[in-house]
Amino acid sequence: MSSTTHSVESGAGALATIPAALAVEGLEVAYTVRGIDRAVLRGVSFSIAPGETFGLVGESGCGKSTSAYAALRYLPSNGKILKGRVMVDGNDVTKMTTDELQRFRAKDASMVYQDPAQAMNPTLRVGRQLIESFTLLGQSKQEALSSALEALRKVRIADPARVMDRYPFQLSGGMQQRVVIAMALACDPKLLVLDEPTTGLDATVEAEVLDLVRVLSQESGCAVLLIAHNLGIIRALCDRVGVMYAGKIVEQGPSSQVFDDPQHPYTVGLLRSLPRHGVRKTERALTTIPGILPLIGTSLPTCVFLDRCPIASDTCRTVEPPFVAVGFAGASGVTGERFTRCHHPERIKEMKEEVTQVPISVLAPSETQPNVLELSHVSKTFRQRSVSVPALVDVELGLSEGETLGIVGESGSGKSTLAKAMLGIETVDAGGVVSMGGTAVPSPTGSRSAENKRSMQMVFQNPDSALNRSWSVRRILMRSVEKLTGVKGDEANKRVEALAAHLRLTPRHLDLKPRQLSGGLKQRVAIARAFAGDPRIVVCDEPTSALDVSVQAAILNLLADLQAEQKTSYVFITHDMGVVRYLADRIAVMYLGRIQEVGDTDDVFNGPNHPYTEALLSAIPSVDGEEKVRIRLEGEIPSPANPPTGCVFHPRCPRAIAGVCEVTEPPLREVSPGHSMRCHIPIETLIELQRKPMQR
Amino acid sequence: MQKFILQRLASILVTMWLLATIVFMLVNVLPGDVGRKVLGPFAPQEEVVAFNQRLGTDKPLVEQYAKSIKRIFTLDFGTSYQTKSAVSKIIFPALGRSAKLAVLAFVVTIPISIFAGIYAARRKDKFADRLIVNAGLASSSIPEFVTAAVLLALFAVQFKLGKAFANPPDGTSLVGQLKYLFLPALAMAVAYFGYIARMTRSGVINALSADYTRTATMKGLPKGKVMRSHILRNALAPTITVISVQIGYLIGGIIGVEKVFNYSGLGSTMLGAVGAKDVPVLQGAVLLVGLVYMVSTLLADLLIAYLNPRVRLDGK
Amino acid sequence: MSEVLTLAPDATEAPIVSERKQARRENWRLIRKRPAFIIGIVILSFWVVCAVLGSAITPHDPLDFRAGSHLSPRAEFPFGTDATGRDVLSRVMAGARDVLRIAPVAALLGVIFGVILGMMMGYLRGWFDTIASRIVESFLALPVVLIALLAVTTLGRSSWVVIGVVAALFTPVVARTVRSAVLAERDLDYVTSAKLRGESNLFIMFREVLPNVMGPIIVELTVRVGYAVFTVATLSFLGAGPPPPSPDWGAQVSENYNSIISGFWWTVFFPAMAIASLVIAVNLIADSVQSVMEAS
Repeated sequence: MSSTTHSVESGAGALATIPAALAVEGLEVAYTVRGIDRAVLRGVSFSIAPGETFGLVGESGCGKSTSAYAALRYLPSNGKILKGRVMVDGNDVTKMTTDELQRFRAKDASMVYQDPAQAMNPTLRVGRQLIESFTLLGQSKQEALSSALEALRKVRIADPARVMDRYPFQLSGGMQQRVVIAMALACDPKLLVLDEPTTGLDATVEAEVLDLVRVLSQESGCAVLLIAHNLGIIRALCDRVGVMYAGKIVEQGPSSQVFDDPQHPYTVGLLRSLPRHGVRKTERALTTIPGILPLIGTSLPTCVFLDRCPIASDTCRTVEPPFVAVGFAGASGVTGERFTRCHHPERIKEMKEEVTQVPISVLAPSETQPNVLELSHVSKTFRQRSVSVPALVDVELGLSEGETLGIVGESGSGKSTLAKAMLGIETVDAGGVVSMGGTAVPSPTGSRSAENKRSMQMVFQNPDSALNRSWSVRRILMRSVEKLTGVKGDEANKRVEALAAHLRLTPRHLDLKPRQLSGGLKQRVAIARAFAGDPRIVVCDEPTSALDVSVQAAILNLLADLQAEQKTSYVFITHDMGVVRYLADRIAVMYLGRIQEVGDTDDVFNGPNHPYTEALLSAIPSVDGEEKVRIRLEGEIPSPANPPTGCVFHPRCPRAIAGVCEVTEPPLREVSPGHSMRCHIPIETLIELQRKPMQR
Repeated sequence: MQKFILQRLASILVTMWLLATIVFMLVNVLPGDVGRKVLGPFAPQEEVVAFNQRLGTDKPLVEQYAKSIKRIFTLDFGTSYQTKSAVSKIIFPALGRSAKLAVLAFVVTIPISIFAGIYAARRKDKFADRLIVNAGLASSSIPEFVTAAVLLALFAVQFKLGKAFANPPDGTSLVGQLKYLFLPALAMAVAYFGYIARMTRSGVINALSADYTRTATMKGLPKGKVMRSHILRNALAPTITVISVQIGYLIGGIIGVEKVFNYSGLGSTMLGAVGAKDVPVLQGAVLLVGLVYMVSTLLADLLIAYLNPRVRLDGK
Repeated sequence: MSEVLTLAPDATEAPIVSERKQARRENWRLIRKRPAFIIGIVILSFWVVCAVLGSAITPHDPLDFRAGSHLSPRAEFPFGTDATGRDVLSRVMAGARDVLRIAPVAALLGVIFGVILGMMMGYLRGWFDTIASRIVESFLALPVVLIALLAVTTLGRSSWVVIGVVAALFTPVVARTVRSAVLAERDLDYVTSAKLRGESNLFIMFREVLPNVMGPIIVELTVRVGYAVFTVATLSFLGAGPPPPSPDWGAQVSENYNSIISGFWWTVFFPAMAIASLVIAVNLIADSVQSVMEAS
């Protein structure tokens, strides 16, 4: 692969006049796994100018994090840099001595990590860890202390002295990440590397952290390298972006241009597999990318995307594509800063988006038939060391045949507890009733009739956890068929094969163990299992959040298709607003165990909204680049063990009415047919307030 | 924190009671006459009866059980069948002598093995690491009496170093005692080396790969400082647990070592009691060992709570 | 299912990754490449052969005392002779039998009971776990060797007593390991899924969960065999092993350690080394199994 290291690899292009803050040149990295070197990076090149934010995107396993860590020469013990340079300020990081490297990390480069809870030493106070960052720069104890307090104020921590005195585990996730950012900025670095800095944080907290990163990096003028799998985040934050695939950057350019007019077949596929521009399942199916990402270490002599590319030609099979500049005559008219690693960028437009697919039919909710599932006055209170924690409070919900009810909410909202209460995995508090088809069903699950068990099944978030890893696929499906339908032997086997075929699993898949399947296939098996007894209701708990977007698209298509065919009702729990918009007919928004708003998907997305929903929707970074006014929420999500008085959202609500909201909890009120919310503010006022965006 | 200590103390009481019950059942598992068992088949019947009366072993089992439980909580273990003196007068001095041996062994082995563990972790998969790991494996898997016998053959006999009989004569100075206790203590030290070094190694390896270590390194802290202020504090908790648990297992090994070196500690006392079927002494000794084990694990937990604020502040 | 969807390109229509099989093969390859494992197997096989064939392959009769007493090592008696003139080499070779018969059986029984107990504790939780955990904890406070000694004293000197006691004392240790492995499993969603389709607890425990905790159980078994050898050797040294004419290693050390000071080191040194070599061999194997299993 060294033969075609193209002259433009450094990506300097238009920025040639300014020396780059970071220049990665032809980086090759391998991991030694079971004694064999396996290529992870196959020649990665990019550069970042001072003050510029550069993003690396790609699906898991493409090498984006490895690129970031290799740039700071922090690789796991089995990883090694085989080739290439990492130039910072005229120095090659790969050639530094231990002392130089240490000085480089102390003074010139900093990093923020994915999991802030793990990133700080659990046994030392926050203050000590932060002060250490300053004493390292030669400050005295006293100077370092005041610098530390100042640094915390800069990351918008209101009470820095108190936070300094805490241990990391006593802080919330958002707070922890602010402290880590404060630590990273302590040395006023020239280069800041952010590795999935908001993955695992709630949407409203994520938006806060991203704001902070944007403001602070602009203030300090450092170069930022941002690693994220969420394309929305990259678009919102990055000037330029590199799309990685199988250890190579396949496309690079200004983020708006790359996302609006992709020039590599992989980027095209990636973007099309996302539910964008408010598309719904009734309009069309999502586009998917066939095949899977090659395992690390696979030999890929020519184009890395060859096996999955719909426009691959004979040239692609024999010649490694160069990294070519693409002429772009867009609004900015800038050329020479867009590159693609493709032989045929001119044929990209041949990749048609499959809008011709048959629209999926959806049943209109029937007025005459009883709801397939109905929850009335359902509450769930956990006891933790003699403290009662209300996880669900007076939930009222109905689900009609063939309908998808989306349930969205942040952590602590009770959405998973709600699913468990429906299924009888958790018993509900006295007074609450779960009924199926008009008759009340008992909990726990074990006390339900076989018919009830058959009628409601579940698809879990993580197929690795949901499938017994020592059972074969056939055994997994067979057992469910036997238990749920009562048929045995040959007949059961026939049903298993029919079921598998229906979910497009081949007979070959049946004799494999889950570990031998890719993530998407595993989730397919889990769905097949849930459908083994022709259920009326399937509860899906974040079924695609562990999957890459291209696989997610296939799973969502499958779910939509099964529903259209079998009239199954779904309860679809998710935190992804794009996914829920695509799939759900109705949406319930939860906060601290209460349903704050419930209504048809269009009503929820078009408003008027409950102020919480409004904030949640504004917090989602969009891939489409549409301008949104962010509604900033004050404070943290309160603990369910200690909910605020009155309306539980009032302490964070930007529209709270003093003297009312903190006193009484509003009831769930219908504001228009089928659209209810739990808010004191009259609907006319909300419509008025939400018409002109709040200026803050 | 207070609640934590109180809970632990309560759990020690419960465990002691269970332990006493287990020992009681073991001793009384066979039906029959204790006096006959102890005095042998040729003793005259009236002596056996008198024996049973004196010790209360003619009473119903339930009554004997209640009495034996009461005894533990008053630390009065009854009288020895053999010497007719109070059990506590026998086992406490013996424990003191064994403790001397154990303390010496720990003083030798703890610093060396922790250092070896850290060194091995830093040189993971290198030659030094493999050497320490395998030496540790060997040292902890060989029974102590084997090590003791080999040390005896090598040092006391071939090199004339140390003493074959470890009991120092009365009135020997503390330093003078070292000469006597050195070889048996070394035999035990060798046995602990493996456990402690291997546990330290894996603790340090875990901490080395932890995210907070990455943060500290990426901050640009020098290696030594990362090790001292970030890694060790987190890495030593499992080591402390292992040391405390070893104090319980230690007693098994000490029996063999004391036998080889003819040392009159708790191990020899117990072995003697087994030979003479002196049940009260044996029972008392086992309970004492259990108590030592539990106090040491409690101390270890407190130390861990001190090192780890999460345990201290969350109570879990 | 609609025609169009079946024809649509699909991300999950992927070639199957036979990673698992590959991993297992590579594990086996890795373990065979470990010198520690090979050394362990070679030593263990040697002692197993000695134990099986016994006096058939020893140079002299291990019980025959016609040679001179305390002869130092020489060509005819490479390990010398003991106080009664028996060949130490022959006795060492024949001495593997008892320990190799008792230790694996005791370890296996301990593991079987430990698995059953630990499985119930970890899966059922609740009051059963609370009470059983307390009992397990107090068992851990028991010095194994001492309790075994006590049991042999009251129950009589037989291999079955030793097997029973060692197995009983290993049970709680194994149970604790299994319990924590099961605790990690019971929260996985496949267990929830099994409950949702109405499986019994017994089925979930032994058909669903057990196969997934076999890894730690196998490791525990190899480690326990090592401890059992250790314990049995120590017991026989302390006089609770097979009765005197038997050439058991621990008994040989016990019989002769008092003569070391008189310079007859070989009567103790060689059986002691035999014990050491066997326990090290077993532990080398256990350690290799453990590190390869943990790495995968």
